[in-house]
Amino acid sequence: MSKHHGEIYRYVLRVTGRRSDADDLSQETFLRAFRAYRSLPPDANWRAWLFAIATNLCRNHFRGQSRRRLAYAQVSVGARERQEEGPEHVALGREVGQVVDTIVGRLPLKQRLAFVQRKVHGLDYEAIGESLQCSAESARAHVFQALKKIRRALDGTEKEPRA
Amino acid sequence: MSQRAKSCVEIEPDLVAAATGEAEPAQSRRVSDHVGDCPPCRREFEQYRTIDHEVGRLASEGSEAQAVARSRERLEARLFDLRSRLVAYEIFPSAFGDILIARSEQGVLLVEYLRGHGRMAIKESRLTGAPGIEAVPVPGEVERFHRELRDYLDGRTHRLTWPLDFRLARSAFHRKVLEATAAIPYGAVMSYRGLACEIGRPEAVRATAQALRWNPLPIVVPCHRVIGSSGALTGYAGGKTTRKQRLLTLEGVPTVRKRDDFEVQRDAMYVLAPGEHEYCLPTCPSVDPFPRGGVLFSVRGRAEAQGLQPCGACRPDLHPLTPAQH
Repeated sequence: MSKHHGEIYRYVLRVTGRRSDADDLSQETFLRAFRAYRSLPPDANWRAWLFAIATNLCRNHFRGQSRRRLAYAQVSVGARERQEEGPEHVALGREVGQVVDTIVGRLPLKQRLAFVQRKVHGLDYEAIGESLQCSAESARAHVFQALKKIRRALDGTEKEPRA
Repeated sequence: MSQRAKSCVEIEPDLVAAATGEAEPAQSRRVSDHVGDCPPCRREFEQYRTIDHEVGRLASEGSEAQAVARSRERLEARLFDLRSRLVAYEIFPSAFGDILIARSEQGVLLVEYLRGHGRMAIKESRLTGAPGIEAVPVPGEVERFHRELRDYLDGRTHRLTWPLDFRLARSAFHRKVLEATAAIPYGAVMSYRGLACEIGRPEAVRATAQALRWNPLPIVVPCHRVIGSSGALTGYAGGKTTRKQRLLTLEGVPTVRKRDDFEVQRDAMYVLAPGEHEYCLPTCPSVDPFPRGGVLFSVRGRAEAQGLQPCGACRPDLHPLTPAQH
């Protein structure tokens, strides 16, 4: 089971952007999985199940984080600046890979979770939908919206003049 | 502000699918036809392909290898710790009320008669709050033990050969008492005093009884086969002796009601004196009716199954106890 730890770590890191969170949440994923794996049917898709646990933990993590922020109103200036900075600005003068990486980190959470699961880890939409508690079609729509946002950011403009 | 052509808006999902390798052949054809005539969409198509390529790079296995290895090391240590703490349990109905069976990786560590039902019952279980234990209900995990226990309670089997985990024993002394109790054969009884002698602590009769009161593995570690020197059942699992009497009756041990307790009919059982290899009739002049450290057998066959011979003086083989004496 823990052979999947590397990719769960990378998944959480891509979603949270912090090594400490990736460390904590990836470990927590496997501890939870270890407690519950015996109740899984033998033909269950273990990998998708681990991603679902990690996804749930990520969502709880961000929920808790926003609660803490509200409670203490301690959003750092740097963080706020990063949030306020529109995706269209980041394309300027940076490598495409870096930009993609940065934009992925700024996608709305559901889109980010769906996008990373699909495009980085290759999970099918059915599994992604289950992890996000939505339909496979909604999962596909999240990925589509994420790709559109990334492309627009690369383009450097929200609305592009078209023929 | 310029408006996108309707055809460009409509083709976008197909275009994204085609650029990122998820398109059906029909979608790919539509996109190919469209981008041939629409330079902005061709540009978009190229951008999506670039994104797809870059995202593919993000997925490369080598990245963060050191951090992953460090995290994995910590995970292994935490899993090791969890594995040692994790206990799977299940609750089963039985003729004796709800019974909880819990097991660790080492073996069965708790068989418990529950008071009450459902959530309240588990709240009062010894598993709740036991230090160093994380109890998880896992359907099917202790099924084998439940099946064998049911067979035992229905009289279909006489032995429960389970791997045991004595971690809930309260002390090394308690553990020693439990291990000695586990050796008392089916259909036999021993006194608390006899058991104390057996473990080399003849003065610790009450402590021995307390160890059995807290027996975490009743039935499997047959504390119901330990009775008072007078023959009275005395107590069972910290409560009334009704269950103890039922278990002894199931094993063929004759009992009679005595006020609010039961008593084993010692004069209807074969006697094995400590250190002896021959079993006797209860009337044999060479033994006490219930010698210290001795064992009483309900049936000759059970004594002989332990490798014992009939006494040459009283000849229980020639004068077996009759069912009437039972």
